[in-house]
Amino acid sequence: MASPTSIHSPSTAVAGILGVESPTVVVVLLSLVISLLMVVVFRYTSDQKAIRVAKDHLKAYLLAVRLFQDQLPVVLSSYGRILISTGRYLRLAFKPLLFVILPLTLLIVQLDRYLGWTPLVPGRAFLVKVRTGNVVILDDVSLLLPPEMAITAPAVHVPADNEVLWRVVAEKEGRYNVTVAAAGQDFSKEVVVSSSRLLRVSSIRLQGRFWERMFTSGEPAIPAKGPIRAVEVKYPSRNIRFAGLEWNWIWLFFVLSLVAGFFFKTVLKIEI
Amino acid sequence: MSCPQIQSGRKRNWSKRISLIVIILGIILLCPVHSQAYAGPGAGFAVISSFWTLFVAFLYSVYAFLTWPFRHLFRLLRRRRVPGKAQIKRAVILGFDGMDPVLATRFINEGKLPNLAKLRGRGTFRNLRTTFPAISPVAWSTFMTGVNPGKHNIYDFLARDLSNYLPFLSSAEVRPPKRTLKIGKYTIPLGKPRIRGMRRGTPFWHWLGKAGISCSVIRIPATFPPEKFPGVLLSGMCVPDLKGSQGTFCFCSTRSVGDEFREGGVRVPMERHGSVCRSYIPGPPDPLAGSSGGELRVPFEVRPETNQTRITVGSEKFTLKVGAYSDWIAVKFKGTLGASAHGICRFYLKELSPEVEIYVTPVNIDPGRPDLPISHPVTYSIYLAKLFGPYATLGLAEDTWALNEEVLDDQAFLAQCYANHEDRERMLFDALDKTRHGLCACVFDTTDRVQHMFWRYLEENHPAARKVPRDQRTNVIEDLYCRMDVLVGRVMKQIDEHTLLLVVSDHGFKSFARCVNLNAWLHQNGYLALKSGKSESGDWFEDVDWSHTRAYTMGLNGLYVNVKGREREGIVQSGAGAEALKQELRDKLNGLVDPASGAVGITGMFDCDAIYSGPYVDNAPDLIVGYGEGFRASWDSVMGKVTSEIFEDNLKAWSGDHCIDPRLVPGVLFSNCKIAEEKPGIADVAPTILKLFGLDLPTHFDGKPLTVTIDIAP
Repeated sequence: MASPTSIHSPSTAVAGILGVESPTVVVVLLSLVISLLMVVVFRYTSDQKAIRVAKDHLKAYLLAVRLFQDQLPVVLSSYGRILISTGRYLRLAFKPLLFVILPLTLLIVQLDRYLGWTPLVPGRAFLVKVRTGNVVILDDVSLLLPPEMAITAPAVHVPADNEVLWRVVAEKEGRYNVTVAAAGQDFSKEVVVSSSRLLRVSSIRLQGRFWERMFTSGEPAIPAKGPIRAVEVKYPSRNIRFAGLEWNWIWLFFVLSLVAGFFFKTVLKIEI
Repeated sequence: MSCPQIQSGRKRNWSKRISLIVIILGIILLCPVHSQAYAGPGAGFAVISSFWTLFVAFLYSVYAFLTWPFRHLFRLLRRRRVPGKAQIKRAVILGFDGMDPVLATRFINEGKLPNLAKLRGRGTFRNLRTTFPAISPVAWSTFMTGVNPGKHNIYDFLARDLSNYLPFLSSAEVRPPKRTLKIGKYTIPLGKPRIRGMRRGTPFWHWLGKAGISCSVIRIPATFPPEKFPGVLLSGMCVPDLKGSQGTFCFCSTRSVGDEFREGGVRVPMERHGSVCRSYIPGPPDPLAGSSGGELRVPFEVRPETNQTRITVGSEKFTLKVGAYSDWIAVKFKGTLGASAHGICRFYLKELSPEVEIYVTPVNIDPGRPDLPISHPVTYSIYLAKLFGPYATLGLAEDTWALNEEVLDDQAFLAQCYANHEDRERMLFDALDKTRHGLCACVFDTTDRVQHMFWRYLEENHPAARKVPRDQRTNVIEDLYCRMDVLVGRVMKQIDEHTLLLVVSDHGFKSFARCVNLNAWLHQNGYLALKSGKSESGDWFEDVDWSHTRAYTMGLNGLYVNVKGREREGIVQSGAGAEALKQELRDKLNGLVDPASGAVGITGMFDCDAIYSGPYVDNAPDLIVGYGEGFRASWDSVMGKVTSEIFEDNLKAWSGDHCIDPRLVPGVLFSNCKIAEEKPGIADVAPTILKLFGLDLPTHFDGKPLTVTIDIAP
């Protein structure tokens, strides 16, 4: 059990970095900046001439299908060439991907901490789920909360999944640690409660499983030899309202960066 | 450890690292959660556009596949109207503009043209009667329509305006849109430019297309503007450049002096600004400037380096060495209020030091983005551009004027010719691939242009070659014929035993060593009068006194009577008066002798009333002048200029010609089939093809179907 820490630290908030707190503005700005960077990287890591030729060939074969539509052998051979040219184009277009996939993936993973979920709200119940290594110790698992939090319902055991769930509510804003005790060992999990819109949250703490932890968890691994496999806090997923629609941030980023990328590639005369 | 072992170990380490990176990236790609499955707009574009391409292709294919039986049935039903049975599956026509039967025979006999020799041995080789006059747009119009010029209305490159005696292009007219909106100093066009084709008659591929027979027609002259028909066609000779001319090159130089070019090109100053030189490419008139006629320009910048130069045109940057051409460069002429025109051109660095001189080809209509239709359907030119890259679209794409004016040298001109030729070959073989049944026809202009410009090296004493030492006179024409023979061989390998192959030329070639200024003769013999005090006239009859002029000539072979009531200031009574004058001119000019050599300069004078029939004979000249071998209308005479000398040497590189007595310059007809007729004519090709595909022949044809024995030689 630990005392709450400040949740408004600028070093931990995108809002602090960008000086804005609106997730919509953050996603729009990120889309613009990242798409510009990606388009420029694409320009210098791709074979522009080969891409232009591949795209031209694709268009030619499409036109051939239309121009010689009465000649079935021509149509079929054009279709075959379209497939081959598409493969060639994809190969050329994805070569630059190798240069950006790692940094961009890591960046998106980090952004997902801020933009994928919203922090918990004081007074609104949430679930804490613990998964153990075996069913035997399920009854020995207990949840220790800071004074600002309370359990609102008895624990639910799900032996089939080796899981125990608690319904919890927080009274005040803060960055807390809840503690799970089992087999004489304690395991903590961070819980963020705030009305602030942009805060870094980690929904799960995992034992081992490096790749899953890398993509989904923002906390250190649970000790390997302990009985607890995972401690999860169910944060509400974030929806961003944009253009009259509710968006998952990644879809909005996808659409906006495509539009911005199209704009930048046209302005900078880059072949994509 | 030895060095190779160290290297081997390093290689292994590197390959391990690369493998590890690939595995990691693979895992990342294969095991993403929802929020990490996107890697930037580049990947997004690639995926989306690929998907879209495949989706559209799939839809097209499904559509084509599902509807093909119905369309095939429809074609069969339509083809039921074809009364006869097709004797051939496919006809391939190679048009070698200007291939001469005398030269072809000579080179075949010398063993230099094995493929044409094979056609001659196993199939057919004949002289092909050409048209009166023997000029490409005239002859190819007859080739495609099967009729004499009186029915297709093309008598020369130029025709004359009866209201002012000025010339206009005979095959097509491009005019501004009919309606415009004038706002202040701007004239906004409301609509597209009006393009009117003036060739009449129906090309035989229209009949084939209507009968459901596939047709691919590439660069046959006098096919601009392209006409709608069931098939694909790329227009040839007569397609204008972006300025609307038949080819205006641009010569940019830092030299301050230089004469204006007589025709075909413009000089543009290039200004030095420190280490940078700046110049521009002149373009079409600004469409919004109206009659005030502002010219659109594309500026470019030249940065000379040691052995090469960097050139920047818009967003395009490239380097050029002396004596080298650039690729086709896309240029955009930006007008006011967002109006623009798209073209392509090539740069040639002629000199880098001490002065900078750059030749720029005429700005061709961009085939990938045509501002004027140059193909049918419009997408065909785009298809070819996407498949093979930009290509020359100008009708007279080989810049003979630039060689005449010595802006280009022999090698630079040939490089340009053969670059265009190679593009044409690619188009031909693509058309052969796409047209397994039906007609595939393609005309190559290289034969014409190269013979025009290099005939001087075939003769010992051609006036145009006097400056060139004998050991520097190359076998350009022989090489040309060998190249064409190789092309024939490649085509022969592509075709099967059900394909008829015809190699056709519209006319042959002869020397052009002496110029005849017929206007000078008419003046000296009292048929053409000059204004008081003048002994010569400028271009286009500038100083001609029409009120006392009975006859005049312009263009290459036409001679006109100044008929009262027809010409604006005509004085010769039509009917008996004009007939008598024509007879008088025929008698006097036929057999006209060159006093310098005693050779006959004119071997035939042909009355157009006798040689033409059809609804357009009124547009024909009154007489066709048949120049003797070695002679042709002088450069001045063609442009309506009256000089004091009737005969003079031709000193230009343009040293061979065919605009002479048509009986002296028949074309060639090679075939892989036996043809019975001894004297076929170019008008016979259209009816022959229609008959071989089993179609009825239109009654208005002047040509007769040839007797072809379909026993295709292997």
